[in-house]
Amino acid sequence: MSVAKFANHLYGTPLSTAIRETSWIIPGVQSIHIIAIAGVVGAAIVMDLRLAGVLATDEAPRAVVKRHLPWMWSSLALLLASGFVLGLGEPYRVLMNPVFWAKMALVLTGFVLTLLFRYPILHPDYRIEHARAAALVKPLAWASLAIWVAVVFCGRWIAYYQ
Amino acid sequence: MMPDTVPPNALMQTLYDSTIGTTIRESATLFPWIESVHVLMITAVVGTIAIVDLRLIGVASHRRGARQLIVDMLPFTWVAFLLALISGTLLFLSNATGYYQSMPFRFKLLTILIAGINMAIFHMTAYRKIGDWDDRLPTPRAAKIAGFSSLTLWLVIVFLGRWIGYSYPLA
Repeated sequence: MSVAKFANHLYGTPLSTAIRETSWIIPGVQSIHIIAIAGVVGAAIVMDLRLAGVLATDEAPRAVVKRHLPWMWSSLALLLASGFVLGLGEPYRVLMNPVFWAKMALVLTGFVLTLLFRYPILHPDYRIEHARAAALVKPLAWASLAIWVAVVFCGRWIAYYQ
Repeated sequence: MMPDTVPPNALMQTLYDSTIGTTIRESATLFPWIESVHVLMITAVVGTIAIVDLRLIGVASHRRGARQLIVDMLPFTWVAFLLALISGTLLFLSNATGYYQSMPFRFKLLTILIAGINMAIFHMTAYRKIGDWDDRLPTPRAAKIAGFSSLTLWLVIVFLGRWIGYSYPLA
């Protein structure tokens, strides 16, 4: 079954129709989606700017990451759930849209980078100066922020690339 | 049922007809780009304010001291808010007459004002005595109320903002 056929099939289901035709569901779930983005952005600002050496430099990187990483994971989970509902309600808008797929690729990249480069920091013996890729810590922190910014832009542009 | 329409306003029409407003409105890409900046800044405002508000409510953050946390985060909140204000003004100009008639838009501006007043009250009262409760949990009742109301107001602002595009006359 092609993507277009699958989108068509989804569109016709009672659940998709209900989401689409109940006036408050899509704007309501989009608002939750935006609030969850704020969770990611807030956590990313603190963690990435700490690692970039800009914010809270008197606190150990481990303390900062330990505190904010769980919020990032919870926010990403909420984004996935709310995004799923939105996609279910408007399958053409997402499945047939290259901007949406670009956004998903960026989200996956951000997720993998966070996984690979934040978990080692939680180890009690982690020292930022002796990190294996110490030279990459700062540039990757800025790259991480840039990726989340790009995700937000893609997210808004989905509506304009129809 | 159509809501009672607001009578046309000459000032709003002038703003709508302005060069800036017209340029943004007639460009295929300017509005989406400015709107994207606006959304990004809103998430930065809410995200950084939430960190402070949660600490005021009594949820620990990455440092013990509430005062230093506020000092850490507030510059980012302010810059994001300023950029949200600027981008929001540009968006408004592109359809001044339309937004002027939007009830969610009016309530959104009102709620932002209330959120600002709420923050000002906190800074003039509980924050003055922050030395007393800076590094201790649980936080005093005044701080909890300030944190909880601030968070609630900003979440309402997000919902109202989204509703602008789903209600009269922008829907």
